[in-house]
Amino acid sequence: MTSEIVPAWSEPFLESGGVALRRLPPLPSIDREWAMGGSDGTGVTVAIVDSGVEREHPAVGGKLVRSVKVEAGATQDADPVVSEDEEGIDVVGHGTACAGIIHALAPGVDLVSVRVLGPNNRSKGIVFAAGLDWAIRQGVRVMNLSLSSSSDALFGLFHELADQAYFANVLMVCAANNVPGNSYPSLFASVVSVAAHDRADPAVWFYNPRPPVEFGAYGVDVPVAWRSGERIVATGNSFAAPHIAGYAARILAKHPDATPFEIKAILAATATPPG
Amino acid sequence: MNREGDRPTSRDIPPDAEFSAVIAAITARSQIAQRLELGASEAVLRSVVEAAVALFEAEAASLALYDPDRKMLVFRVAAGEHGQEVVGMEIQPDRGLAGYVFSSGQGLAISDVATDGRFGRGFARATGYVPRSIVAVPLVDDSGTIGILEVLDKRSELTFSLRDVELAGVFARQATVAIRASRVERDTAALIRKVVSGLAGEDTPAPGVDALVAAALEGLGGDDDPLWPLVEQIAAIREASPDQLELVTTLLGALARQTARARGRRSAVEGRIGPRAGGRGRADPGSE
Repeated sequence: MTSEIVPAWSEPFLESGGVALRRLPPLPSIDREWAMGGSDGTGVTVAIVDSGVEREHPAVGGKLVRSVKVEAGATQDADPVVSEDEEGIDVVGHGTACAGIIHALAPGVDLVSVRVLGPNNRSKGIVFAAGLDWAIRQGVRVMNLSLSSSSDALFGLFHELADQAYFANVLMVCAANNVPGNSYPSLFASVVSVAAHDRADPAVWFYNPRPPVEFGAYGVDVPVAWRSGERIVATGNSFAAPHIAGYAARILAKHPDATPFEIKAILAATATPPG
Repeated sequence: MNREGDRPTSRDIPPDAEFSAVIAAITARSQIAQRLELGASEAVLRSVVEAAVALFEAEAASLALYDPDRKMLVFRVAAGEHGQEVVGMEIQPDRGLAGYVFSSGQGLAISDVATDGRFGRGFARATGYVPRSIVAVPLVDDSGTIGILEVLDKRSELTFSLRDVELAGVFARQATVAIRASRVERDTAALIRKVVSGLAGEDTPAPGVDALVAAALEGLGGDDDPLWPLVEQIAAIREASPDQLELVTTLLGALARQTARARGRRSAVEGRIGPRAGGRGRADPGSE
């Protein structure tokens, strides 16, 4: 019982955690300069699967090139419907926060917003899955997911989507859920799963050799963009993931043939040394 | 509520009046049981927010549950000096911070809430309290998400830490188990649909099941049905002494006999599932 109360996924990354992030010596010749030096992500498209992205927000820098919304089908058995979101809005602010973080790190990246917040328990997992499926088929190279499904019934569906993405050379960057428990696809092996660390530095990320959550990035008291052109300060693994998505996009812009597993290896090799 | 499209047809389900009456009776009893248990359920909800305030040394905490009938997140309880006014507020399950946490399943903390004006306008006007920081986590267990828990303004710190978010998440998970255990199935329609589908077997067309459920629910009044306050009063007096209960039972018995005599005089002919149904307007099936 007691062990359950210890926060799980961010623990290794916290300064107070006291756990050394043991890792292999860096893969020979791979450093940040080789990996992403001079790259601003130009030519790479990143999908933000979230609450929408506010097209006009200054933090997005006019880089939102497409915006769609996914909605539950009209009847219980109908498939979800993907349609263009002409207004380019964010119904919460969260997706805009993620987009702003990515744009700040990789200003050349084109952003695609896939709005997937379903209105109820049953539809939301299906709507989310339909959004992933759509994004995989659009030719984006990186997806940023701060959402996850806890539904065991949808385990198979999300597993299939994670495999589809991997085989289509699409890197899924997923925020680990803040609560231990089922969380798909963030706990699948092929994705890049990210939790937060508490150093106020976007250029610091850690590699954790003990899965399922392999990366830690800036996610505590992060100044972020929010809806209606505003900015707030936010904390959560949600805000760590887009940092890694941004760096992944820069790696891909410089090394367009890199596969998801190679990007993961490069991110691990260029991670901030522990201590 | 318009359920015309769901009406049973003779094609979907054999017209078995007796079966329909039994389902209607079960539905009515389920609804009554739900009302009777409401008190226990509320006590658990209150203990969750009170524990959250104590655990985080927060100014306030509030808890919203998803109401599948209304398709809204409804704030049910709050604790702490501030924030009581939030109780009863309804929000769309995919809008705002609470909606995001509910529909994404991802816990978050935000601060500088007051300065950025987002909550200053809508939230504060509605509640009279502007928090400077909020942590919001989903009420989730292995069976799904039932709502959200919000904790406002840690007294000792300006913001909630990541550890607070995670602790709140773990706490909410435990709370969800307790909440789920404490309440009878709130969604009567879902409960009856489950039972009917199970009995009817997989071959029964869904519209047939829906029609039967709709027909069973039709006999139940809405929230303004005068029966519900009575049921809630009865729930409230369950802790009364045996003498007091006996007195109430005697009084109710006398009232019931009087009602029966009055009905007899009016030659009412309805009353398929006992005196209660007749007393609730069943005599005119055409009325809404």
